[in-house]
Amino acid sequence: MKRRIADLHPFTVLCLAVLTVSVATAASRWWLNCAVIVLCLAVGAVAGKSRKLAALSGAIMLPTLLSLLMIHGLASQETSAVIAVWGPILLTLGGVEIAMALALRTAVLVVAGLLCGLLIDKHQLVAAIDLSPAPPQAGYLLASTLFLLPQMMEKQHAIGEAQALRKAGTGRGLAGWLQRLRLRAVPLVLSSVQDAHDRSVHLAARGFPARGEHSRLRQVADSQIQRGVRWVALLCSVLVPVAILLPLGGAS
Amino acid sequence: MSPNLLLPEASATQLLRRRVLGAAGTLLLVGTYLFLVITQPAGIVEGLGQGVALATFAAYLIAAVLLLLAVLPDLPVSALTLIPVALALNIILGQFVGSVMVPLYLDSMGTVLVGFLAGRRAGAATGVLSTLIWALFAPTVLPFAAGAALVGFLAGTAARYGALRRPYLAPIAGLVSGVLVGVVSSPVAAFVYGGTSGVGTGAVVAAFRSMGDSLLSAVTKQALISDPGDKAIVFLIAALLVFALPKRLSGSFEFIRRYKVLGKSGNK
Repeated sequence: MKRRIADLHPFTVLCLAVLTVSVATAASRWWLNCAVIVLCLAVGAVAGKSRKLAALSGAIMLPTLLSLLMIHGLASQETSAVIAVWGPILLTLGGVEIAMALALRTAVLVVAGLLCGLLIDKHQLVAAIDLSPAPPQAGYLLASTLFLLPQMMEKQHAIGEAQALRKAGTGRGLAGWLQRLRLRAVPLVLSSVQDAHDRSVHLAARGFPARGEHSRLRQVADSQIQRGVRWVALLCSVLVPVAILLPLGGAS
Repeated sequence: MSPNLLLPEASATQLLRRRVLGAAGTLLLVGTYLFLVITQPAGIVEGLGQGVALATFAAYLIAAVLLLLAVLPDLPVSALTLIPVALALNIILGQFVGSVMVPLYLDSMGTVLVGFLAGRRAGAATGVLSTLIWALFAPTVLPFAAGAALVGFLAGTAARYGALRRPYLAPIAGLVSGVLVGVVSSPVAAFVYGGTSGVGTGAVVAAFRSMGDSLLSAVTKQALISDPGDKAIVFLIAALLVFALPKRLSGSFEFIRRYKVLGKSGNK
């Protein structure tokens, strides 16, 4: 099962996520949202990513939930039953219901989106974009960013260590923080822009971006069935929400 | 002459296609914004509320992707190699700032830097790409792609019309850009996420709501408090970084030379 999930084409995973999020958002039923979240966690568990998925989702959803409770629970303009009173602040039942409904709606997007990020192999995604009709620059930009990020993190860490060794930027307070930011950011930005400039000369000399057919070392497994699933998923992610929402529009 | 001697010039059909894509993206963004502001749909979780959320999410994201497809093939190689560096800078500096208790984001530093060095198209593309890649780690940022594109576009526009010729002009341009970005992004926060984009900002929105403001009005006022200050600081720091670049390096960007972005002395 784990192997089957890993073998899915990156675009298939993305299309299924779009379908899931759009249908769950349009339907706006708490039990459906909960079912989608549980299903995503189950798929994550099968793929061996459940802990990471739960931790990342929690890190995003906890502040979101608190914020929604503040906006709708405490500062509600609903005239519903009051749960608690703290001076001028009222916690209303209607406000809490709205906050929970919005949090569940957002949670579906967060959990499904993070699951996509965890399931999709970044190298496969870059290869799939390269093989798609998207502009050739898109694949380069994605690949380059994903592989530059750890390098630049390392460079930033090394710059920080070097500045600490020469006892630069050790001040306290806001001034010290600004000095540390300057001492890290300036060498990092200057060296990175210089590297990018050098790279552009070499790439331009090699005729980048290459157009037309070119050989690739990495192949992305795909099938007729997966292509069909992608089309159906995209079509349904438009048609199903319309079918759900049209009767509501007529009724209002 | 083509910037790359090995590549053919773009045909008239390709140019027309890009212009149509750009116009469609802009129209979709402006149309959705105007529709939301004029109609101000009520009931964000019941009735047609979920339809409004879905439509806003889709329209803002599709508009950003259309704008990206319109500008990407036009970008010179020097801009294309600078964009990944800017995306990494957005994430690294954003994390460094986020790791300390300073009320700044600075997560659009790379986008503004590209706008200053390579122009508004490259800046807009960097904003969209930054959001799309960041969405792999935080999916909620996806519909804010259009706002991020606007940051890069406005940075490029400001540089083109002289915001970097005097150091004090950069934060003023940032302030104005922050107002526009806040106004454009607030319908997403209001109608897609119910007004939230963090605990700190949620408290401000809640304060405005308790004074009787509508959700969109409260979110817009919160954005007008947070965004201009942040963008003013980002524009100032990015401008100082551009000033610190060796003239040989900054002068290698065609945008800097063509529009005399750094004044006469910067183009030698």
